[in-house]
Amino acid sequence: MTQPDKGPVRPRHNVKIVRKNNRMEIPSSLDYLPKVDQFVESKLKKLRIKKDQLVDIAISVSEIVTNAVMHGNKNDLGKKVKINVEASPSQVEVIVEDEGTGFDPSSVECRLDPESLLKEAGRGILIVDSLMDKVEILCGPGKGTKVKIVKLLR
Amino acid sequence: MKLSSRDVGDVMVLEPKGKIMGGPDATVLHDKLHEFIDQDKKKVVIDLAKVDWMNSTGLGILISGLTTLRNNGGELKLANVTDKIQSLLTITKLITVFEAHDSVDDAVASFSK
Repeated sequence: MTQPDKGPVRPRHNVKIVRKNNRMEIPSSLDYLPKVDQFVESKLKKLRIKKDQLVDIAISVSEIVTNAVMHGNKNDLGKKVKINVEASPSQVEVIVEDEGTGFDPSSVECRLDPESLLKEAGRGILIVDSLMDKVEILCGPGKGTKVKIVKLLR
Repeated sequence: MKLSSRDVGDVMVLEPKGKIMGGPDATVLHDKLHEFIDQDKKKVVIDLAKVDWMNSTGLGILISGLTTLRNNGGELKLANVTDKIQSLLTITKLITVFEAHDSVDDAVASFSK
């Protein structure tokens, strides 16, 4: 028996999404991930970009924004996540900034041993590292975290 | 993401469509899997043919469903895994955890073997 299609759930928060040129600001909720995906896709659609490359960028942005919302801003709706997309024929660069307290990138470890494989979280950075050509994590105590990811369009 | 489901005998087939990226989408898929478990439906196939892509949150939901089903004597199998999702499963080594089949029919039939 086919179940009724519930369709996507709309964000319920009474807060604004800010969009200006290549920049977007969202409140710290994963409810806004589909909006971020639409924004990134709109910025890339004019490029002659392969579908596979577009998917790599879309997955990576969703990972970085998820980290910014959950780990950076700790789902605090009063804090913003900023996304900046710079696209040229040769590369796509996306910068995601949160307003958290920063972290030590060396403390992030994704374990692939059999005992850790069934953990439900902790694979985001591993996936981004694999899909993108360059990943830079810039942060300091009290400064929030800024992550820059680059995809070369060769 | 949109989600539909159907039953083939005692096997539940879940058919997500679109992108699985966390947030509300993730909740819908997670809740449906756990609804099956609550109803003692322990044989589940997820048909990934119409999934454009998923991120690590989507993988986490699959793992949650798999472990909960196995802990209750059931099993979750994948069907029609796309190239992109296959590559994510390889990167994360989850390819060694999930049983994947080329079609829903194959996945459903495998429960009888």
